[in-house]
Amino acid sequence: MSRATPQMRNFAKRLIADEARGYKLSATKTSADFNVCEKLRPNLAAFMGNTGFRALLSRALALAQAEVPRLRAVHVNADGALEGAEEHRAQLDPDELFEGRVVLLAQLLGLLVAFIGENLTLRLVREVWPKASLDD
Amino acid sequence: MKSNNKPANLALPKKAVSKPAKVTIHQLPTGVRGLDDILGGGIPEFSFNIIGGTPGCGKTTMAHQIAFANATPKKPALYFTVIGEPVIKMLRYQQQFPFFDESKLGKDIRFFNLSDVVLEKDLNAVLEEIIKQVTAANPGIVVVDSFRTVARKAGNEVGEVEMQSFIHRLAQFLTSWEATTFLVGEYSEDEIRDNPLFTMVDGIFWLSQVAERNSVVRKLRIMKLRGQASVPGMHTVRIGDGGLQAFSRTLGLGGNKKQSPRRRRLSVGIPELDKMLGGGIFEGDSLLVAGPSGTGKSALATQFIAEGLHRGEAGIMAIFEERPEGYTQRASTFGLNLKTAQQNGKLETLYLRPLDLSVDETMQEIFDAIGRVGAKRLVIDSLVGFEMALAPGFRADFRESLYRMIGALTGAGITILSTVEVEDRFTELAFSHYAISFLTDDIIRMRYVEIDGQLRKVMVVVKMRGGNHSKDIREYVITNKGVVVIHPRRTDYHALITGIPQQTGPRRAQEFETAPEPKASK
Repeated sequence: MSRATPQMRNFAKRLIADEARGYKLSATKTSADFNVCEKLRPNLAAFMGNTGFRALLSRALALAQAEVPRLRAVHVNADGALEGAEEHRAQLDPDELFEGRVVLLAQLLGLLVAFIGENLTLRLVREVWPKASLDD
Repeated sequence: MKSNNKPANLALPKKAVSKPAKVTIHQLPTGVRGLDDILGGGIPEFSFNIIGGTPGCGKTTMAHQIAFANATPKKPALYFTVIGEPVIKMLRYQQQFPFFDESKLGKDIRFFNLSDVVLEKDLNAVLEEIIKQVTAANPGIVVVDSFRTVARKAGNEVGEVEMQSFIHRLAQFLTSWEATTFLVGEYSEDEIRDNPLFTMVDGIFWLSQVAERNSVVRKLRIMKLRGQASVPGMHTVRIGDGGLQAFSRTLGLGGNKKQSPRRRRLSVGIPELDKMLGGGIFEGDSLLVAGPSGTGKSALATQFIAEGLHRGEAGIMAIFEERPEGYTQRASTFGLNLKTAQQNGKLETLYLRPLDLSVDETMQEIFDAIGRVGAKRLVIDSLVGFEMALAPGFRADFRESLYRMIGALTGAGITILSTVEVEDRFTELAFSHYAISFLTDDIIRMRYVEIDGQLRKVMVVVKMRGGNHSKDIREYVITNKGVVVIHPRRTDYHALITGIPQQTGPRRAQEFETAPEPKASK
């Protein structure tokens, strides 16, 4: 079952866009590949341990790969960071890459919501982006 | 000549000799209902404790309740998780409890996962990480869940002395940082003697599950608590919708029975029976109504409660056999309206039928209900049903528990009417197979007798502590007004209590005699 509901996708898009603005980059497609997941990683790893974070991110990636096959080039390394997109960047369509980032983040957030609920998920996200909101 | 060589007054001025003030150990609330009382007021501040026991006893829930009860933004709770239950699952389950205040997460309560450090590094690194996090957060409460995992991992690599040294340094640091600490761990009771951890901690909160036949009951024991007196022994705990709740085995014993020499007499709602009781039962008494099935014990209990309601005295009915609707319905057939009182909050019916209750839980339920409605009268119908509702392990102590419960309730000024079913025998008049008459102030015995080919009913006041009472054995019937004691007061029979009385006077002509309860008509 996909956790990347339309609401989660919108939420993911906004986080990616906000993060891109933080980098003073244009709103989406050219920003660093998975920097939102990367920015969430220390807090989530502190919360659930590196192993826990890796397990959750791997599950999110597996779910996202089913929706965006191009994400099969990506994997989670031992530290819990996402790797693999850079090498295939040339072959990836920017729209597809952007979609992959959105879906992956939406799956990750969706999994968190499934386990600990919206409120707690939002609290964790707000530790990084204090103004983040699930709704527009 | 007077000598001036008086011995020097070596005594210090009075102010100076007065004893220096003892340190005040503040107590923290546990957030676990009933536990503060068991601990003697709360958790000693800055203490270093262990919450131990076998899996599934409620250790993590207890730790969460303590954390949520005490965490503030200035003095947060720092919850270190170590392998064991994954934190997202822990939060998934714990957030179901009402004490789990989501708004506290992040600022007031912070979770930190120590698993990686424990798995990949040594004890020094674990201590360093804890020191780093504690220094940054300045917590009032620190939880390490599970500490057993830390100890088990380290135990494979270091000796006992190093482990002790680690615990010592951890305790010293956390106490110095004014944190009250809870190490949560799965231990078996056999480990306590040989594990130095249990010697070093200030408090041991021991949770267990006791299985007996088909019943499982959770128990809590405060094995150790430095600095204050806790209530010894095993206390029942239950994990319910509200989280963990503890029931002190001495619940209610604190109150002294204060009976004024001039106590009111309360009507039981049956005028002739009131007369037999010398004007009613004394307020704050415990009355036992004993009799076989169908003799009208519950009817009498209903009238007792209804009479109280009629006089403005709220009541509680703790019923263990019949369904509450049955009670209300029967009352209405007697012309007694219990529904209105229930709706107005003057009467509460506790229907207690689980098969693993403890007396302490029941008592807590009753105390809570008394508090809610301001009850003056209580019916327990019946003691047999009550015993059946208890977990098998508690049945052995039923008499002792009942003694404590009745003492506590009457001590609180509640007048209790308990019913007990006894088998009618034709050689003796037993009051109860529990031999509990010692803990009741008054006893009414009801029984069947055979008279003129009818199974009729008689009652007698057997005992009334502190008051004279009628010694008559009176016949009664159950009509649409409930239990009605009928005339004549004196009968022409003797040996009524055997159940097979003998007529003493000349037999009256049948045509003038009306049976009190007519035979069923066609």
